[in-house]
Amino acid sequence: MSITYHVCKYTPIELLTALGGQCALLDEAPENFDLSDQVAHPNLCGFGKSVIQAAMAGHVKELVLVNCCDTIRSAYDILKTFGQLDFLYLLDLLHKQEGCSIQHVRDQLMDLAQAYSTYKGTQFDRELFFSAFHAAPPKTGPHLAVLGAKMGHHLFSLVEETMPLPVENATCANNRSVAKPEDKEDFAALMEDYARNLLGQLPCMRMTDNTARRALYNTPGLEGIIYHTLQFCDYYGFEYAAVRNQLPIPLLKIESDGTTQSREQLRTRLDAFAEGFIPLLKGDLPMDKHGYFAGIDSGSATTDVVILDQDRNLVSKVILPTGAGASNGAQRALEQALQQAGLTQSDLAATVTTGYGRGVIQTGNKSVTEITCHAKGAHFLNPAVRTVIDIGGQDSKVIRLEPDGSVANFVMNDKCAAGTGRFLEMMARTLELSLEEMSTIGLTWKEEITISSMCTVFADSEVVSLVAQNKALPDIVHGLNQSVATRATALFRRAGGETPCMMTGGVSRNRGVVSAIEEKLDQPLFIHPDAQLCGALGAALFALELS
Amino acid sequence: MDIIEQFGAKIGTLSDTNPHRARQLLTAGFRANGLKNKVAPSASTKSDRMLFQLVNRAMITCLSKPQQNVMVSLFTPCEMLHLQGLHPYSCEGFSSYLSGSMAEQPFLRQAEDTGIPNSLCSYHKVFIGAAQKNLMPKPRFILSTSLACDANTLTFRHLAAFYEVPHFNLDIPFESSPQAVEYVAGQLRQMAAFLTRQTGIPVDDGQLVRVVARSQRTMALFDRALHRRAGKLIRSDLTSELFRTAAFHFLLGTPETEAYARQLARETETAPPAQGKQLLWIHTTPYWVDPLRQLFAQSTRVQIAACDMSYEGMVEADPTKPYEAMARRLVYSPFNGPAERRIQRALEVAKTVQADGAVWFCHWGCKHTLGGARLGKKAFEEAGLPTLLLDGDSCDRGFGGQGQAATRVEAFLEVLEGMA
Repeated sequence: MSITYHVCKYTPIELLTALGGQCALLDEAPENFDLSDQVAHPNLCGFGKSVIQAAMAGHVKELVLVNCCDTIRSAYDILKTFGQLDFLYLLDLLHKQEGCSIQHVRDQLMDLAQAYSTYKGTQFDRELFFSAFHAAPPKTGPHLAVLGAKMGHHLFSLVEETMPLPVENATCANNRSVAKPEDKEDFAALMEDYARNLLGQLPCMRMTDNTARRALYNTPGLEGIIYHTLQFCDYYGFEYAAVRNQLPIPLLKIESDGTTQSREQLRTRLDAFAEGFIPLLKGDLPMDKHGYFAGIDSGSATTDVVILDQDRNLVSKVILPTGAGASNGAQRALEQALQQAGLTQSDLAATVTTGYGRGVIQTGNKSVTEITCHAKGAHFLNPAVRTVIDIGGQDSKVIRLEPDGSVANFVMNDKCAAGTGRFLEMMARTLELSLEEMSTIGLTWKEEITISSMCTVFADSEVVSLVAQNKALPDIVHGLNQSVATRATALFRRAGGETPCMMTGGVSRNRGVVSAIEEKLDQPLFIHPDAQLCGALGAALFALELS
Repeated sequence: MDIIEQFGAKIGTLSDTNPHRARQLLTAGFRANGLKNKVAPSASTKSDRMLFQLVNRAMITCLSKPQQNVMVSLFTPCEMLHLQGLHPYSCEGFSSYLSGSMAEQPFLRQAEDTGIPNSLCSYHKVFIGAAQKNLMPKPRFILSTSLACDANTLTFRHLAAFYEVPHFNLDIPFESSPQAVEYVAGQLRQMAAFLTRQTGIPVDDGQLVRVVARSQRTMALFDRALHRRAGKLIRSDLTSELFRTAAFHFLLGTPETEAYARQLARETETAPPAQGKQLLWIHTTPYWVDPLRQLFAQSTRVQIAACDMSYEGMVEADPTKPYEAMARRLVYSPFNGPAERRIQRALEVAKTVQADGAVWFCHWGCKHTLGGARLGKKAFEEAGLPTLLLDGDSCDRGFGGQGQAATRVEAFLEVLEGMA
């Protein structure tokens, strides 16, 4: 029997069931949107594109959509033209939930019933209708919730895997709860009651009055929220903006694109968030507090190793290019660090790994995210620091610290090179400057130049055109420094950054960027000579605590 | 840095430290621009000059007379507001003006810094940022419709909460039917009651008939101008299309907009024979892209014959039933319902103005326009209208790619001219 798929909690599943349908929420995370991109613009939201992709791949033959948002309306238009579905229907749902809206939805339900009944060759079965209502039991006890834009099983399973508490998926399309209407003989009257109950659910963000959504944040036992947004879906970003500074419980924002690729990219953020709920590492492993403790930070550009003695003295530090494999890079860096300190592997009482490559490094007793390690390292270097701005080769992040050095909040840039060390490297190449020259030349600027393009590729074109206009190199580099500083300070504000602020990562050695950030924050940045080693240092400190 | 760039930078800096002063400076800049265009107008036709002054005045008023201001979404019918002596302004209009002043970047960043999604339409992001930075004065209240995009639902609800002002939203059914018109007309009556509560002045239905009739006459005049311009040369530029969008939406129903439409209809009658290529333009124009602006400025090589953001209003209706007439305009708008309706309306207009080709401008963040892009191209080309899909942003310079955008349009033009 074919399945009738739906994408929205306002879909009248009970009605479709009563007409002989077997219904399921469309929950596909494709590897990419190659089929969707052939018929739809790529800048539609990932959820809508996954619907188009599934239909174009022939995985869906019956689809009932709801007039939820611009993207789903577009998906309907596109599939009507390009899709080869046996049954495709768009239910028109109004934004208001009272009076005439209920009658409008009632009429829509009756139209759908007629179309679906004709397609299936079935009649409305009253018994099936009433037995299709299921009340979901509320989560009790300490738990976490995922809210926001639809999160499918693929990503949600990662959330469940990484979180230390049970997690409820209350994202778009998932938190459905329709009350059973009163049994009425007259079909139109029954559909009117049903329409009222469909609209009476906890509202989604498209509804005009969505104040009842506050209940999502006040659930008993709710310990923390993972707020999920989807690229090019605007609805839930607004809710996030409204609540982000008002919740008494921890909140993590993650954004995905609806493909399977998002999963591993989000793991670090989820791990770091989970680390906030567990007394980290204490008592995990029986370790000897004597000896030496290593921290390995396997980054995209470099692998850093720090070795501490039992009194927290730094006895060795190494920074090496990561090279082709994270595991080999880590091994080489650790060997060099041991050699530098005149130690051998057996002298190490414990090793903690961090950074992007932490999952593949064989060495080590434990791995901790670079976010938690950076916080730990920064607190060690300067206990007064309340915010860390870390700009590395691949990403930039801002971490707000609690007074004890634990993570209060963090934000990271998304899949984009703009505002990272890679951006500056590319621009240095275009301008034929070394990184050292890039670091200082912009300090002697005279003319204010704005690099307006936020995209790295377009910014590169802009720089080429500025060179063609004979603009002075210091002025162009100053414009680039300003561009990176703008990105960094935007992250700082999003994280609710507080001063004093420390800067870490490779870009902390770029004096021009540091100066531009200081100017924008109107605060000096604390830059430690070992700023680049902050992650490895934090990992070594965690190794020391493994006892 | 040229003078406009310096002006924009100053607005950005001042909005951090003294938003009131930034507002005064911006108002002075708009006034100076109005004066400059009186003394040395850049527009070649009288109608374009009238259009500029009409919209420029509205923008000055929205900054200088906050007690009479009403913030509206673009498709909200504003006849009742004009009748009560209130000044509506839309986010598209205000954000375009900020972008024209090269001041949009700090406001975009402000909105994004507070968590507003970066994929939201940049007109809306700039508008929200300007509100948050107190550049825009607090309006008396806010009116919006769910037409034509999700951003309207989100932005205006967000701003009503931000300013703590009353908000009325018109909910437009996706399906077009007499019942839908009745539903919307009912809401417009509720809107009249809302206005009466807010202002203490009842909406006079007799006067409203007069104002809605004026809207109908204005749209009919513009329709006549569109029919007459086929085979004629009407030189213009990229900004005129944006001004027209304002005129035929939140300024519709005013005597000045009717006078403008009459002048335009008159000019099309006496215009010289066509030269160059005539384009149909879908969505707004990226006038900040310098090479594109130069390409279209008073050009005899290429002109925009029609833009779908301004010609969407021609819906037959009986002005003696003003609420139903306004409701019909919304329900039967080409921007409501399936993309097919917008596409068919575009094809009708392309035929009317004898367009040689179409540019479907995929404005960043406009999911409605992006969603219809491939369908539009397919339908246009099947109807024999060569079509360019052009990605860009009408408001945000940060989108970049000026050279790429201009190359695409020029190459398309070369195809139309038979050079390629």
